[in-house]
Amino acid sequence: MTSKSYSYIISSCGQEQKGGILQMKGNYGIKSFLLILIIGLLTYISIAGLEIPGTEINIERVADTIRYGIDIRGGVRAVLSAPADIDPTEEQMEAAKAVVENRLDFQRVYDRTVLLEKSNKRIIVEIPWRQDEKEFDARKAISEIGMTAQLTFREVDETKIDENGYLPLDDKIILKGNDVKKAAPGADPNTGMVFVSLELSSEGAKKFEEATGRLVGRPIAIFMDEQLISAPTVDEKIAGGNAIIRMGGANASEASKAATDLANTINAGALEFKLEAPHVESISAILGKSALNVILYAGLVSLILVGLFMLLYYRLPGIIADIALLFQIVAQVLIISSVGMSLTLAGIAGIILTIGMGVDANVIIYERIKEEIRAGKTVKAAIDVGFDRAFTAIFDGNITTLIVAVVLYMLGSGPIQSFAFTLGIGVLLNFVTAIAISRTFLRAVSGVKPLRSNWLYGVKGGNKNV
Amino acid sequence: MFDFIGNRKYFYAFSALILVAGIIGLIVNQGLNLDIQFQGGTIVEFQMKDENFDVSKAEAVAEEATGKIVSAQSSYSLDSEKNERIDMLVLSVSSSNALSEEEHEKLSKAIQENFEIQENTVANTRHVDPVMGKELALKSLFSIALASVFMILYVWIRFKVMGGLVAGVAAVVALLHDVMVMITLYAITGLPVNDSFIAAILTIVGYSINDTIVIFDRIRENSALLRKESLASITNKSIVQTLSRTINTSVTTITCILTVYIFASYNNIESIKNFMLPLLAGLLSGTYSTIFIANPVYVMLKERQAKKQATAKA
Repeated sequence: MTSKSYSYIISSCGQEQKGGILQMKGNYGIKSFLLILIIGLLTYISIAGLEIPGTEINIERVADTIRYGIDIRGGVRAVLSAPADIDPTEEQMEAAKAVVENRLDFQRVYDRTVLLEKSNKRIIVEIPWRQDEKEFDARKAISEIGMTAQLTFREVDETKIDENGYLPLDDKIILKGNDVKKAAPGADPNTGMVFVSLELSSEGAKKFEEATGRLVGRPIAIFMDEQLISAPTVDEKIAGGNAIIRMGGANASEASKAATDLANTINAGALEFKLEAPHVESISAILGKSALNVILYAGLVSLILVGLFMLLYYRLPGIIADIALLFQIVAQVLIISSVGMSLTLAGIAGIILTIGMGVDANVIIYERIKEEIRAGKTVKAAIDVGFDRAFTAIFDGNITTLIVAVVLYMLGSGPIQSFAFTLGIGVLLNFVTAIAISRTFLRAVSGVKPLRSNWLYGVKGGNKNV
Repeated sequence: MFDFIGNRKYFYAFSALILVAGIIGLIVNQGLNLDIQFQGGTIVEFQMKDENFDVSKAEAVAEEATGKIVSAQSSYSLDSEKNERIDMLVLSVSSSNALSEEEHEKLSKAIQENFEIQENTVANTRHVDPVMGKELALKSLFSIALASVFMILYVWIRFKVMGGLVAGVAAVVALLHDVMVMITLYAITGLPVNDSFIAAILTIVGYSINDTIVIFDRIRENSALLRKESLASITNKSIVQTLSRTINTSVTTITCILTVYIFASYNNIESIKNFMLPLLAGLLSGTYSTIFIANPVYVMLKERQAKKQATAKA
């Protein structure tokens, strides 16, 4: 039964090719030309960037936008977790992450990665070295960010404003973190106004009612440790323990992002545990940079060698495979850089590996075409049949590899996940290039009579099949 | 035409030989050389002024400063920008807990007092929690197991003509073979087992399955075309027909791995070298197992199944 349905697939493919051969020639030629333009443009953009004066278009070159992992840039990497006797909830971990981000902002460390591993309940912080920085500072920064967060709502002295905003009055603390039960972002469906709603404990509600009654028209400042987070003005006396903080902001999406951030920060104030950083690693920048150079050269040499192999072995289709390979590498690098995934040494090694594996789909197709030519078909017919027959092999092979990538991505964490991502992207690109790009080029080329010789396809035996 | 199926005994024997070598390696070397990653501890690397420093003295100084067991090594790397040699002192402090901030301070001080360290450099520190390493290993094993189950299911559905389940099992047997070969490499050479090892195994799993499926695809196609021929002959023909593809893809992939390996060796970048070597072994094994293990095992299982059915009918 199944074998019948299978042979049906082949015969239906066969029928497809019979119609409109002449028409195809022109189409594939134009399509190929467009594809070459696109590939060339993408390659140019990734190498040199693109800036069109007078427009908003300004794409930086990949070398500047790609995020390298800490093993290449050098820096400090720390794993933060709750003490062993505490099992934090997912919300608490989100809040803890907000605390870490806040504290790093306060220390003006903006160029960092803060990752929450939900399954392991760990926060990974990576801070690259700055040009003239000594080791000590970054290590200290890490040990400070794990301390318990202290959220306070305070009365402030409006007449004194320092560089951080209002000056806090230490003896006039209205609410502490544990007075706030919950903060959540929200929006009014009628007016579209974005806000953060606060739910206070009964004790907190009393204190808040007293303070808001006294401070109508004046600000109440929200501090995380010693950093001012927000200073909303009191509109009226608030009783009952439910309050909202209205958010300003240029547009709705900005305002709602600000609301989410503020809610997370306020929730973090209720964080009762300290984050411990038993693992602080530091990585030298000189060694990493040196290793990066080496591996980039290795990648370039690999690309040239594989390109030459394909060209010498498969001749005319080899050129097409090389163009497709170029596209595949450029697209992969562009995707990685735009997703913002940080690229480690092992990650780059993985990409180089896909140079070798990336030609596989084309190898399958070309071998099949050769076989068909040897079996007596004309070059043109061999290309059509070869593609269709090779399709199932490429499809099933890629799907099984994709299964590996997806499983690893779902289950893995950290390095395994980024490996799975690269593998998955590689497989998809491999499929797309073989089916769309190589096919178009080959069809276009086979439409040109002088290019139909067997020799050009790496098959011995002159031109007798043309 | 070479008989890949008929000669299967020799191929199985060759793989068994590798397995035995691996077991002997495990016994002789007393298990795998678990990197600090799986044992726990701290690695501290200092960039030294020159290569003239006493490693055993460094070991003694470090042990005194930390009160823990330390193994010291000298190492170097090439700065590819300035073309200079960077000499390093590598200290591996083994302990179940990572070095505390004070211990780290103490150690740095002791080394600075006793040795000449390159000015304005930062010590490289890597801490390893054995729990994390084990977690990673367990997770990876679980992922591979789950991926294998899904692959068997997929092959079962897509390759019904070939007997589905049997084909899936044969493909996974080839995968296990490759994992075994890589473990053998580690058992014999004593290469440190770490993240790279796991990443390499995962890569090979992806590569090997793809390799096997391409031949299976041909068997599937030929089963419909050559109904009168025996399974062994169909399989053999399919292997031969796809042989140049199997070899060429291996050649391009191995070219890339070898290139990176040579570049990394020349500049002495240990981490990349240790990633490429298992990949190389796995790739060779993956190509071998595709041709000489997956397909013969498939035919063998299929023939047994047929025999069973025949006796059941009779």
